[in-house]
Amino acid sequence: MSDALPAATEFHARSMRDLGGVLAFVDRISAELDADTAFSVRLAVEEAFTNIYEYGYDDHEGPVMLRIDVTARRVVVTLTDEAPAFDPAEAPPPDLESAWDERRIGGLGWHLIRHVMDEVTYAPGGKRGNVLKLVKIRANGQG
Amino acid sequence: MNIEFESHGDVSVVIISGSVDGLTADDLLKRLQGYVAAGNLLLVANLAAVEYTSSAGLRALLATVKQARRGGGDLRLACVNANVRKVLELSGFTTIMKLFGDVDAAIASYAAPVRP
Repeated sequence: MSDALPAATEFHARSMRDLGGVLAFVDRISAELDADTAFSVRLAVEEAFTNIYEYGYDDHEGPVMLRIDVTARRVVVTLTDEAPAFDPAEAPPPDLESAWDERRIGGLGWHLIRHVMDEVTYAPGGKRGNVLKLVKIRANGQG
Repeated sequence: MNIEFESHGDVSVVIISGSVDGLTADDLLKRLQGYVAAGNLLLVANLAAVEYTSSAGLRALLATVKQARRGGGDLRLACVNANVRKVLELSGFTTIMKLFGDVDAAIASYAAPVRP
């Protein structure tokens, strides 16, 4: 496999109910990846997909196009939606330190994505929406 | 994801296997809350066969920890594999939950007074 000729494939989702299809799609593509890379990509896709529907679409339906390009060196995940513009850099920081009885979960998704992926790039969509690009360098990547 | 329940005296071991994600976390939360509500306050989750968790899974664990501790008990984790441990560490969960290398050690930990 050459980096110039990536194996790309797409999944088109309409609602949060498509999470099962999305995870199955990711697992099918990840079958050729090492376990650590596969884990990171699955986690990043689930967290980003969930955030788009929970916050971007406010628990409503809307289109999300997931594209995954696998090359010898890296895995590039692209999520394109039509939700109101949202730069993940503006996501609230997660609560990592409160005592157990005051601990909250909010903000963990973006925090996890940034830690397990090597690059997180955000751009506003053409007319509306958002394009999120997540890159993972493969653990056994060559070159 | 599959969930099995085992009683070890006062301690209850919940054996979870598979993927704890946005598809399965609600089911896990309902089962765990059901165990606690039924009076099983001293819980050990055996995670040896859990190969994946997302923040959805952490939400279920955190809600159960709060419920158990408010009742005077706890939820402790055993046999956490490397990737799941990484998610717990990145999320700051290793500072609020107790992790043990094996199930016996987690069960034995309840012999000491519970101080969450």
